[in-house]
Amino acid sequence: MLKELLVEIGRADYISKYMLASKMNQPLGLIEDVFTQLIRLGFLEEDEGLSTCDLPCGRCPYASMCNTNPIKTINLTKKGQDYLTSLLN
Amino acid sequence: MGNTIALVGNPNSGKTTLFNALTGSNQHVGNWPGVTVERKEGEVRFRDKVYKVVDLPGTYSLGAFSEDEMVARDYILTGNPDVVINVVDATNLERNLYLTTQLLEMGVKVIVALNMVDEAESKEIYFDVKALSGRLGIPVIPTIACRRQGLDDLLAAASIKIDSAKNGQFAISYGESIDTKLITLKSYLSKSELAIPLNWLAIKVLEGEEYALRIIKEQEALQGSTDFRSFYEELAVHRDEYQLDIVDARYNFVNTIVKGTVSRPAEPKTTWTDKADDILTHKIWGLPIFAAIMLIVFQLTFAIGEDVLGESMAEGIEALGEIIKSGLVSISAPWWVTGFVTEGIIAGLGEIIGFIPLILVLYLLLGLLEDSGYMARAAYVMDNIMRAVGLQGKTFISMIVGFGCNVPGVMSTRTLENRKDRMIAILINPFMSCGAKIPIYLVFIAAFFPKHGGLVLFSIYFLGILMALIMAKIFSKTLFTGEVSHFIMELPPYRKPTLRNVIRNMWDNVSEFLVRAGTIILTVVSALWILAVLPVGVEAYGPESILGRVGSLIAPIFKPAGFGTWQAAVGLFSGIAAKEAVVATLGMVYAGVSEGAELVSTIRSVFTPLTAVAFMVMTLLYTPCAATIAMIKKETGSVKWATFAATYTFALGWLMAVLVFQIGSLLGFA
Repeated sequence: MLKELLVEIGRADYISKYMLASKMNQPLGLIEDVFTQLIRLGFLEEDEGLSTCDLPCGRCPYASMCNTNPIKTINLTKKGQDYLTSLLN
Repeated sequence: MGNTIALVGNPNSGKTTLFNALTGSNQHVGNWPGVTVERKEGEVRFRDKVYKVVDLPGTYSLGAFSEDEMVARDYILTGNPDVVINVVDATNLERNLYLTTQLLEMGVKVIVALNMVDEAESKEIYFDVKALSGRLGIPVIPTIACRRQGLDDLLAAASIKIDSAKNGQFAISYGESIDTKLITLKSYLSKSELAIPLNWLAIKVLEGEEYALRIIKEQEALQGSTDFRSFYEELAVHRDEYQLDIVDARYNFVNTIVKGTVSRPAEPKTTWTDKADDILTHKIWGLPIFAAIMLIVFQLTFAIGEDVLGESMAEGIEALGEIIKSGLVSISAPWWVTGFVTEGIIAGLGEIIGFIPLILVLYLLLGLLEDSGYMARAAYVMDNIMRAVGLQGKTFISMIVGFGCNVPGVMSTRTLENRKDRMIAILINPFMSCGAKIPIYLVFIAAFFPKHGGLVLFSIYFLGILMALIMAKIFSKTLFTGEVSHFIMELPPYRKPTLRNVIRNMWDNVSEFLVRAGTIILTVVSALWILAVLPVGVEAYGPESILGRVGSLIAPIFKPAGFGTWQAAVGLFSGIAAKEAVVATLGMVYAGVSEGAELVSTIRSVFTPLTAVAFMVMTLLYTPCAATIAMIKKETGSVKWATFAATYTFALGWLMAVLVFQIGSLLGFA
């Protein structure tokens, strides 16, 4: 399932865990778990879109204007890309 | 003390509820040695025996990904619990059983507490508990910990398990190649005296887990064997493959267990989210739909904010101004106090506050879009365009943030790892029309384009994005060349926006606006008012005042753009301090042009529709506010780039304003 998901992610322009769950005929919770596994194994990186500020939000005068609903992005790491290349060749 | 029961489970599986239900008040809390993870222990009496219960931290796995995982792993391996109760969330069985497989790999005595079965049943998920237990080879006890149901059965099963022999050898096939390697590895490991289960250790070595590799490194007998070393080196070559295959095998095992033992309602193949995404993220239609949605947002902003709420707000401020003025006159306040309050504060700040209803409605609508999950789709739709100009789609996220305020917009570029992407994203962020610029557009729209406000505002935002893309393309071809890094966006499911979130988002933005109006803008307006009435003896707000003279020096720069008056020049330059100050300054300096008239009608008398457009274009593109420049300096770590950002945006704003005016004049627009 991990390889299958990795291939799906490698092919995709965007990810929707709901769509992947439906496509792979698996419960959403399981797809989320597999994502976590791919992240912990170093094949994927997840970015919450939050800036790494030195200043805690509570002290930031611009906190209220900052990104409150972050958009997540997924990145295939070098390990993930290399593995995917070897898998698809 | 009697036997020890360890509780282990995923976060939110109800493990702590079960711990509390079992131990009641007989518990104490401490810390695991060397870490900050909480250690909870308690006691439970069952059939005249007292058991020690240890609540291990919630974890999804037994590796080294977090302190919680390590604490749970180490305790099970070396803490010698007599039995492990694996608390499993019955509503999310597949995910939870992954941990169960790892416990079985460890060879410890395990019982599954199938918790929250009531919630599962409410979701029409039913279990064949006997079959599930049979397939796992361990007892499975349904529980509802919050109602203390199933606890006796669980403790009875635990006491039997404690007295029984260890679990039989648990075997998952990880595939022929891995299975063979495991057998070889275990035969090597059996030559060393190890206190931890060999099967588990061998699997972890193949997975490349640091903890296991360290144990192998410490085994002198193994390290001294040439055969082992060459075998071990070969393992390392295929580690990525093994990692995926082992985890996959666990999931396949779980799938096999679940199939035939769990029944749940079929999930629809296509959800309405999928259907909506087919349209909203369509390669061709996605972008026009995004544009249409934004146009509707701006049209609604004017329809509700201006037509419904705006007029009453303006009337209210006017009435308040009259009351304050009469009050000051009745108490014979000095001329400068009356002048400062009526022509400085009320004419200046009042103009800005008059636009609050519009801003409220705009942020309400943007908040609805954001909370519904659509903004992620918008970022995705923009992705192809961003890539075409040499940027990754994620850059658009910082641009969306910039629509609120450029300062966090610039800050949010920190999430871009690639320097090229980051530098370009920082340099184009000021073209994102921030909330502070809205009152400027609104004044000019109210003066010249009241019937097409939504369309004009939409065009301004669109022009800002277009200029940002053009400059990004130029920068990526000249100053910052390099490859576009590839990111994949995650689209969250659509949600029903919650009133609380939307109202909070709206209030956050508007309150920030009001705070700035009461601080920075008040300071700027006060300073400019002093300059506008000095030196004593000259006409206040006239060209001979200090402000008038300074403005007159700058004004010729803007003559080719059609708005070469000292008032417009002063207004624009006050915007470098803070963009909200532009309207406040215009309100104050134009108060001297036609006393008593409101700013909109004064603007109508000194600008033309064409010069108004040129002024709005200049406002959109020219030098960002001081706070944004300071943030650019901080984020780029360079005064040079901050200066570049301040000057190139000014030059571009001026050039575009001149082009608008000159081409418009040639085409016969006035």
